[in-house]
Order: sequence, then C-alpha cells, then structure tokens
Amino acid sequence: MGERMEKQGDLVQGTLDMLVLKALARGAKHGYAVAEWIHESSNDVLQVEEGALYPALHRLELRGLLSAEWGSSENNRRAKFYALTAAGRKELAQEAEYWRRMSGAIARVMQTA
Amino acid sequence: MKMWARVKALFRRKQLERDLDEEVAFHLAMREEKKRARGVATEEARYATRREFGNATRVKEICRETWSFVGLETLWRDLRYGARTLGKNPGFTAAAVLAIALGIGVNTGIFSVLNAAALRLLPIPAASQVVSVDQMFHGKIHRNVHGEGSLFSYPEYQEYRDHNHVFTGLLAYEPFVQVTMGGASPQQLFGAVTSCNYFGVLGVQPVLGRGFVDGDCSAAGANAVVVLSQDLWRTTFNADPALIGKSVLLNRSEFTVVGIAPAGFGGTEPVPSAFWAPLTMQHALDGLEPGRDFLGDGDTSWLALLGRVQNGVSLGEVRADLGVIAGRIDHEHPGRSTTLAIHTATFLGRPAERTFVFTIGGVILVAVGLVLLIACANVANLLLARASARQKEIAIRLSIGASRWQIVRQLLTESLLIALLGGVAGSLLAFWSFEAITQFVLAHLPHGFPQLALNMSPDYRVLGYSLGLTVMTGIVFGLAPALHATRPDRSTAIKEDSGGLTGKTGGGGFLRNTLVGLQVAVCMILLIAAGLLMRGLYSARTIDPGFEMANVTQASFDLGSQGYSEERASAFQRSMMEGVAALPGVDAVAEGSATPLSDNHSETSFQLPGETEGRQMEYNEVTPGYFNLLGIPIVRGRDFTAAEARASAAEIIVTEFTARTLWPGQEAVGKVLRKIGDADRIVVGVVKDAQVSHLGETEKVYVYLPSGPKEQAHMVLLVHSVGGYEGVASGIREATRALDPQVVVDVTRLEDNLETWRTPSRIVAALSGALGTLALLLASIGVYGVVSFGVSRRIHEIGIRMTLGADGKDVMKLLLRQAMQPVMIGAAVGVAGCAAVSQILSKVLYGIGSHDPIAFVGVPVFLLGIALLASYIPARRATRVDPVVALRYE
Repeated sequence: MGERMEKQGDLVQGTLDMLVLKALARGAKHGYAVAEWIHESSNDVLQVEEGALYPALHRLELRGLLSAEWGSSENNRRAKFYALTAAGRKELAQEAEYWRRMSGAIARVMQTA
Repeated sequence: MKMWARVKALFRRKQLERDLDEEVAFHLAMREEKKRARGVATEEARYATRREFGNATRVKEICRETWSFVGLETLWRDLRYGARTLGKNPGFTAAAVLAIALGIGVNTGIFSVLNAAALRLLPIPAASQVVSVDQMFHGKIHRNVHGEGSLFSYPEYQEYRDHNHVFTGLLAYEPFVQVTMGGASPQQLFGAVTSCNYFGVLGVQPVLGRGFVDGDCSAAGANAVVVLSQDLWRTTFNADPALIGKSVLLNRSEFTVVGIAPAGFGGTEPVPSAFWAPLTMQHALDGLEPGRDFLGDGDTSWLALLGRVQNGVSLGEVRADLGVIAGRIDHEHPGRSTTLAIHTATFLGRPAERTFVFTIGGVILVAVGLVLLIACANVANLLLARASARQKEIAIRLSIGASRWQIVRQLLTESLLIALLGGVAGSLLAFWSFEAITQFVLAHLPHGFPQLALNMSPDYRVLGYSLGLTVMTGIVFGLAPALHATRPDRSTAIKEDSGGLTGKTGGGGFLRNTLVGLQVAVCMILLIAAGLLMRGLYSARTIDPGFEMANVTQASFDLGSQGYSEERASAFQRSMMEGVAALPGVDAVAEGSATPLSDNHSETSFQLPGETEGRQMEYNEVTPGYFNLLGIPIVRGRDFTAAEARASAAEIIVTEFTARTLWPGQEAVGKVLRKIGDADRIVVGVVKDAQVSHLGETEKVYVYLPSGPKEQAHMVLLVHSVGGYEGVASGIREATRALDPQVVVDVTRLEDNLETWRTPSRIVAALSGALGTLALLLASIGVYGVVSFGVSRRIHEIGIRMTLGADGKDVMKLLLRQAMQPVMIGAAVGVAGCAAVSQILSKVLYGIGSHDPIAFVGVPVFLLGIALLASYIPARRATRVDPVVALRYE
C-alpha cells in the first residue's frame, strides 16, 4: 500500500528538492523559514506541505547536500538551521539548468498552436 | 557516505528522535504565532495549525525511515514477532528446540573431533605458513619403506632443503621413534629424531636450555643431545631445573639434556613426543634395524618434511619450485616419476592418514547428518501442524494485503529462531560433552594403542560449521511448511479445513506423511547398521579362530632398543623360556616373531622353482612347539626341530590353503619354496588353516619359518598355563628383572589381541546405537505427533462415523491403517537403503555379515512395533470420543 504513494511523491519530489535547495541558496534557514520563503517567493501560489518538507530536508541532509546545525531563531528559540554544502550548491546549479531547459521546452510545446 | 550517516544515526537514535520532535514543535509554534498575529484566536490557531500540518506522527516516521536501514528494521520486527509467537507456545517451542539441539549437537561434536584430528593447524606460532610435503611415486620403484611410503630419505631431504627458493626453513623428522629410557624404572617413550633446524622452523623455543644448533647435526653421531618434553620433565624428573647438562639413558646410549620444550608442545603428530634428538643420532635410537645407515640411503622413506613458507609465496609457487627439484631427483631414477602433495600442515596430514580420517569421518558425518535430517523432518511436521492451526491468522494477513513473501519471510524468521536456539543449545552441549566422551574413548582403546592428544576446543571452523548447519537447518525445516501454509489457493485450503469427511488427514497430509516416511527410513538405516555391528561383535566373541586363545599369556621384550646383539638376545630368550617353563602351572612355552591376531604383520616375496615372478606372502618365524601350544594341528609332515630353530635352517611349514594354492592336487611336503634373495626351503609340514592374520579370514596364504638368530631380539614369548594369568604374568616379570633389570617387558593375555579387532566395531556400534536410539526417539515423537494431530483435526468426522454405527474398533483400525501407511513405506525404503549401507560397512569393519537375518528382520519388527505404539496411544483417544461432544466440536 505504501508503494503507490511513494511513486506519486516522486513526481513532486524532484521539484520540491530543487525549491528547498534554492531557498537555502542565500543562507541558512530553519524548516519553517524555508516553507515561508517558498510560499512568499511564489507570490503565495506554492503552498509547501509540511508533510513533504521535513522528509525532503532530512533526505537532502542524508545525501550530504545540506548540513544542519542547531541555532537560535529570530525570536530566540532553539531551531534547526539547514545550509547548503558544496555538493548542495553543485546540485542546485544542475537542477536549475535542467529545470530551465525543461520548462522552456514545455512552454514552447504549449505555445504551439 | 549515506551508509556511514545511517550507521552513525543508529547509535544516536534517541538524540535523533528528540531533534525531530523539537523541529516539528518549533514549526508548529511558529505557524501558530503567525496565525495569532493575524488575529486568530489562540485555540483556533492551534487547531488550524495542527490540521494544516497533517499527521505529525506519520511525518516523523517518514523522516526516521530516511535515517534507518529498512531491511534491518524489518528483520528486527520479524524477530520480535517470531519470539512472541514462540513464547506463546512453550510446549511446541521446547519440543522443536530440543529436537534441533540434539541434531546439531551431535553434528557439531563429531565435527569438532574431526577438526581436532585433521583440520586444525599445528599448535605453533604462525602455523598457517607451515606446509607439509609428501611424495607419491609412479612407475618403476625400488624403495624401502620405514613408516610410510610418502616419507623422504635423508639425501632427498638435503636436496629439497638446499635448493628450494620458497621456504625460510625446511625441517625433517622421523615420527614415532620408540625408545627405552633407562633408570631406576625403565620406561618406553615415543619421540622424534629431527633435523637441527626443527625448533627454529617451527618457531618453538625451549623454555629451559636450548634447542639444537647446526653443529649437533654436522655428521653422523655428532652430538648425543636431547630436548625433553615438559610432560616428561615434570613427571619423571620432578621439573628439576638442574637436569640441563645432565645425561639420560636412551636405548643404553647416554644423551645430554640440552633443553626442555614449552608446556603444551608435543611435536607435530597426534601422538605427543616425549623427546627430540638430532637426526644424526638416529643409529643410536633405532631399535628395529640397529647398525643400518639411514643417513646415506637415498631410497628409504623415513622422514616427514615441514617447511615454513616465505612471506608472500603462494602454495602454487611452492609446488612449482619443489616440483623442479623432484624432477631432478627423478632424473637419476629412470622410469620413475614423483608427484608431491603440499598442504598447510595439520595433524594426520599424510596422504594415507588423510584418506583414512576423511573416509571414516565422512561416514560418521553422514550418519549424524541423517539424525539431523530426522530432527528437521520432525520440526517441519510440528510446523506444518501449527501452520494449519494458524491458517486463520495467515489468511487474514494475506487478505489485508501482506505479500506471500512477507509471510514466508516471517515464518522463516520463526524457524530460523528455533534453529538458532537449538543450534546454540546443541553446540554448547557438544563443546561440553564431546571432549569428555573423546577422552573416555581414547582412555579405553586396546592395549598398546598410542595415547592421542586432541585439542577439541571450538575454533572458528567448528563455530562456522555449526552456524552454517544451524542456518541450513532452519531453512530446510522451515521452507516447506512456510510455502505450504501460504500457498495461493486459499479457497481449497479452507474447504479442506472445514471438510474432514474425505478421510484424508487434511491440509498438508501428503507432505506430513512423506516426512514421517523419511524419518522412519533414516531411523531404520541407523538401527540396522547398529544391529549388524552388535551382531558382529557378538560373533567376534564367540568365533572359533582355529587356535587356542584361553590360558595363553604373551610377553614381548624391548631387546632391540636395549642394543642386544644376536648372541645376547638368543641367550636371553633361551634363559627366559627355561625360567618360565619351570613356573608352576605352565605346561607349554614357545615363541613367534608375531603372535596370532596381533597388529604385527610381515610380508615378503616367495618364489616357486621355475617361476620368475615372486608371490607376496605373509609369514611368521616360530620356535618348535608353537603349533602345539596354540592347538593348531599339524595335518601332514612335522614341526620344526630345536636344531632347525637355532640355525635358521632351510625348512618351511605352510598352511593347508597355501598348499592347495601352490601345489593343487599334490603332496606339499617335500616341495621347494624360496624367499627372494635367500636359499631354497623345503616344506616339512602342513598345518591346519587358522585365523592368525586377520580375524574371520581363514583361507589365506601364510607360511612359517623357523626362528633364527636374526629374529631373536624381537621374539614374543607365548606361555600356556593352567594356573591362571596373574601368576604367570608376575613370574615372567620377575624372570625378566632377574635377567636384566633394564629390559622393559609387556605382558598381556593372548585374548587381548582380539581387542584390536573389536574396538573399531565397538566404537562404531556404540555410536550408531546411540544415534539409532536418538533417531528412534525422534521418529516416534514424529509419528505420535502426526497421529494425535490427525485425531484432533478429525474429531468431527469420527463423531459422525460413530453416530452412524461405527464402533471404537472400526475407528481404531481406520486410524492405524492410515498412520502406518507412511511408516511401512519408510521402513521398506530404509531396509533397502541399509542393504546398500551394509555392503559398504562390511568392507570397513570386521564382523558384519551383510545379510544378517536377525538384524534385518528383528530391527524392522521392533521399529514397526514402536511406531504402532506411537500411533495407538493418540488413536485410542479418538475411540473414546463421545459422538455428541464430537459433533459439537468447534
């Protein structure tokens, strides 16, 4: 029963991972801030589901694309801050390039009358 | 990288858990705050946040799974579930574990004996670098063998030692040198004469004094020095440190003690050495052929070779390098070729020993493997029975979406758990008991058997073997029931389940019956083999070997070791015979160089006039009166005379079978026979055939020569008396002491020679008897289990039958017929299998008639009786069923 869900998740996963990496490109953030950043940057279009966000963060950390550190949040609470590693930066560049090509291609297809 | 992160996570699981909780809590708090800041009420904000977040537990679980090994966690879950299930059925678990423990225990025990005897590396530092070298010849061979044919001569050893490029050192030694150590109470010792690099190559340094130096071996007789074993030093010399530099008497030669070997070192043979002396002192220690020059003889096999391989050199390179040297030596022997056998050195590593140990070991391992198979069949049957009881559980799990593989994996985990419990219990049992059993057996070997020292403690081989066996066992007995329980056609199973009127035993009936049949067959083989052996032993006790054994005492003297010359030996033997003949109760005295059925055989080539090829014949050298004393009738001609015996005269006496074979239809007396390289001999007498060489073998070519001066040093005294053994034995000992207090005498009953023949059969009979009993126990539990399971499953059907008018007898008949069917088939298969086994056994062990009717009829009847009883007891329960109760059952 688990299998089907994971397959559906996979489709989202690639995009979500890229968005998370992008969110962290300007500096370390905690999970909540990542979700907020994506939400705001997309002009409130993209709503990141927490149920997917945290597994994504942990997965990326395990792959060594993110490093994590406990620190103090803006309101002085203990929070886990994620930051891009060198491998994470490289991955982001690749993903962005791939995305640029794909979205361009899809847009061209869709514009064809 | 990922793997490593996961492993790290495994060890800080709690921390990870806390972090995850905190991370999620922080997220919720932030969101809640934001909502409140927008003016949502506190309560409302909290609920909305939770709702939006979704299933927090599930999110955490997914995060956790990211960090864990999914396979490992699943295994752990299966194990915990399995342990719980087993815990819920303590009766079933105990029966299964016990069966497996017995099966694995007996296998592990036997394997650890085999391991100790022939697999374990030598007890020396860096033993894996040390290899044994043996040679086999093909083609034209002229060679003297002193010990074993695969040994080397001294010149060959020097060749290999000086010209190889693969060893840091190559040593040579003559194993099993028996000498007499003189002193207040002379004693016989086993030891070795060795090359002077012996201790250096083995890496064993004497704890006191020194080992040998090159100068000790510089020339024949160079230095009479000796290293003693720790044991000998402690038992005979009270661990006196001042012994170094003093001398001891070995075969009447003085040897200076230069060193004491470390505790626990007994050389590289299973019979521990008590001393080591340089090779070059060989002439002083050889009691059999004094005066013979072994060192210069290139064609006598007497030295075992061990080499320590240089770092980084493979066995293949060793073979190639030594092969070149072997080729060079062959070059000097036209028509001969040599193959070398090079192995990492172990006890019993020479080719002949290896073959023997692995043949016997193989047969025994097969037998204990069969017992384990019965145990497996038994547990498989229990599992099958339980699987039927668990059908509901399994059906539910299957229908809510568990895959067949998941269920099979779960069931296999359970059976592996049983196997593991049994394996651990059995192995512990084996480690604890087999050492004691082996010591007991070794201590009860027949007289004159060298004491073996076996290190039985478990090593990685034994542990690996029992672990491998355990896992295999778990899969063997678990797989079939697991596959059966989860077979896809559930609907059929359910029908069978509710049916029971068909007269079949229900789901898995065929499989269960096959397993019962298998158990009975295996059990039958073991029991019949035990029966045959015991019958063999019985007949060995009652057999008439064709000569008199009762009231005959034998005595041998170590005159050879004592350096007796021919003349002195003759004088000793003559005085001895005269002295003993005068003892009260003694009515006959004679001598032979071998006594009947002793483990001492001489064989050589004899030629008939006009024939060019020699005929190999066994012979014995005897004094006049030998046949009379043993009650072997002289059927034609006459006995040797005293004068013939003294002079090593040209007469010969042959057995009837020999006469028939050599001169069919003719009078043998007066015919001529020649020992190759000797003068013609005239046949003066023909004696009746007797089993003097091998027990049970009457018809054998066997000839007797008069005992001449050359044989005097190793003649064995035979005394017939009516006065009882003890008196004669002490008389002989006193007479020996009076003649020469340094001579060691060995006095035994002639009947004790039979022990050499009986002991192997007795050990195998005891072993297969014990295994057979174990097998019988397991098999009858198996039959009982199957029948009682069948009865409980068919209570309903039995109720209906009885309501319809069947009485107890009918039901009983029905149940017994069905229970006995697989038993009968299994028994038939077992008897057939045993006919084949007995053919093999009869070649290896004495006393097995391969078609002994008592064993072949008695054992099956006994076994069927037991099986009938095992099914009768549970079947009786069925006939006492009250039909009304039975119909309401379930």
